[in-house]
Amino acid sequence: MHINSNLVKVAALALSMGYSSLANAGLNIFACEPEYAALVKELAPDAKIYSATTALQDPHQVQARPSLIAKMRQADLAVCAGADLEVGWLPMLQMKSSNANVRSTDHGLFFAAEHVDTLDKLESVDRSMGDVHALGNPHLHFSPYRMLEVAKALTVKLISLDPDSQDQYQAALKVFSHKWSLAIPDWEAKAASLKGKKVIAYHSSFRYLFDWIGMEQVGDLEPKPGLPPSSSHLASLLKRTATGDVMAIIVASYQSERGANWLGERANLPVKVLPMSVGGNEQSQDLFSLYDSVIDLLLKI
Amino acid sequence: MKTINYHAAYAAACALISTSTWAESPTLTNPAISAVLDGYYQNTERPMSERVEGFGLGHTELALSANIDDMFYGKLTAVVESHEGETELGLEEGFIQTLAMPGGFSIRAGRFLSDVGYLNNQHVHTDSFSDRPAAYRAFLGSHYFDDGVRLNYVAATDLYLAMGIEAFKGDSMRAADEHNEREYKELGVYTAYTKFGGDIGANGSWLAGLSYMRNENGRLTADEHESDEHESEEHEHSHSAQYTGENTYIADFVYKWAPNGNYKYQHLTLSGEYFKVTDFTPLQGSGEANLGTQNVDDQQGWYLSGVYQLSPNWSTGLRYGEVDTQEMHGDHFHPQKLEETELSLAWHNSHFSTVRLQYTNQKGTNFDGIEDDNVFTLQYVMTLGAHGAHQF
Repeated sequence: MHINSNLVKVAALALSMGYSSLANAGLNIFACEPEYAALVKELAPDAKIYSATTALQDPHQVQARPSLIAKMRQADLAVCAGADLEVGWLPMLQMKSSNANVRSTDHGLFFAAEHVDTLDKLESVDRSMGDVHALGNPHLHFSPYRMLEVAKALTVKLISLDPDSQDQYQAALKVFSHKWSLAIPDWEAKAASLKGKKVIAYHSSFRYLFDWIGMEQVGDLEPKPGLPPSSSHLASLLKRTATGDVMAIIVASYQSERGANWLGERANLPVKVLPMSVGGNEQSQDLFSLYDSVIDLLLKI
Repeated sequence: MKTINYHAAYAAACALISTSTWAESPTLTNPAISAVLDGYYQNTERPMSERVEGFGLGHTELALSANIDDMFYGKLTAVVESHEGETELGLEEGFIQTLAMPGGFSIRAGRFLSDVGYLNNQHVHTDSFSDRPAAYRAFLGSHYFDDGVRLNYVAATDLYLAMGIEAFKGDSMRAADEHNEREYKELGVYTAYTKFGGDIGANGSWLAGLSYMRNENGRLTADEHESDEHESEEHEHSHSAQYTGENTYIADFVYKWAPNGNYKYQHLTLSGEYFKVTDFTPLQGSGEANLGTQNVDDQQGWYLSGVYQLSPNWSTGLRYGEVDTQEMHGDHFHPQKLEETELSLAWHNSHFSTVRLQYTNQKGTNFDGIEDDNVFTLQYVMTLGAHGAHQF
């Protein structure tokens, strides 16, 4: 006899979800950035989620402030970008919060960058190069394929911490992966006209986005990573725009528009602020609408 | 601070640096090795300061820190200072801390900075002024680090609440003994502190603390007949508290503000601390009987500081502080007072380099002969290597 195995699976899933949601009080999860708070919300909707930063804050320069220590003290899991993005504040929070759960990736600490192949890894790092990350660019949340890998790895982590809710987490991952995999071709189709377009941007914040949709960042408003735009550097960028192939100047929601506006006025180029993460503008309410918003804004230029 | 010859200091420095060959890309789990370079020129002296007139090296620091294993974290901080042709190598930190105690508890043991007050647990190179406020210099020897042990607890509440107790040897907090006759208690200093903190909206964060320090060796001895002459010679370069007492109470607060909580471009830090030092007069019967019964005011000090980061490249700070102390002259006390108004302007090429110009106006009453002095300091503080994160 042939039974529709999918139907059985879904039924079993529904049953187990109903059962385990009674048993599961939900993990207490500390997200370093709002994109990971949003991902956790997709994968563990019952969890108590706290985001340490907003899309209007530079995640490189966060204060290890008392409220964050208090939140981390209570966390079962900390989910962060990794690749040293939080190296200036996360170790201090770990030390100050005296919470052994979130100290090591063996336990309740998760670094997204450890589960994907990051771009721009460096063989050697010198401070004269600016505030660079040897482990590669950590702003990987605009790579939809990498985020899918991260979601899978994060689900494994959630299950290891909360095995009783295993079926729930697997079901949530299945739903998310399905929706996400359907959305990717739509985004790619929509962004097709952006392929080959050249922009000047601030930092390598949108490195993965440009890599994904085939855009090229031909200039950086920062003379070196972490250093603010200087007038001599902006002057050199102005020369670069003279060739006429630059489409726009891009800054992230937490970056100053001053240097971009200076250059935009003189080069007669539009300046566009893109949400760096969920909450970076009105439209970006979750990961899906964040991607939608970023592509929409780029298409409007 | 132990004085050793220059070659030994240099060898120790090299020993620390050479370990970096196997830690080329320090991560959260590999050792962080860093050096802080601090050099300055100062036109005159500040009383009770570690910095002297003319060119000098401040806290030139070498630090090595890492998780030792899954249970312990360790840090070693060596400070190299140069004074009158001699190079001094001092150990400012050498501690272990537990990482895996349950219930929000942790223990730190070894040599470390006490957690009393707000500034004391911060490294001096993170300050926005070239010297600690006068109250710190008078009552804590600029920054109080010592050999001892700490038990700290962080509560599992949304409002940050931490408390702790410490016990220290207290060598640098001993009341002066001119005749080397005094018997000090080996376990000299006990502290208890509590800290609260949280956020105010999306823009502001705060931290407030109360601390108590018991100093078993803080009372003066009665027979310091010629104390004035001796004291003035000791002000040159000191790491010890100049004014001690049995009980010290400290209240502190800090408020930081940044637009949308984004510290990248602008932020403001307001902070202040108040010190009260009591029970410093010699006990009755320990010499001159009338000293103990003499009615002497408590010693006090406080400061208020505002530092504004105007842009990633520039910051400016304004600080006012005063200290009221009592100097023993034979059988009676002389009150003395020092007021400092300070203005600093700093240029930061990156997070790791600072060049600072500071102006200090000092007004003194019976304080080391200071009446109305102007102190100018030009200083650089630069960090190289993988430097650990700084506290709030």
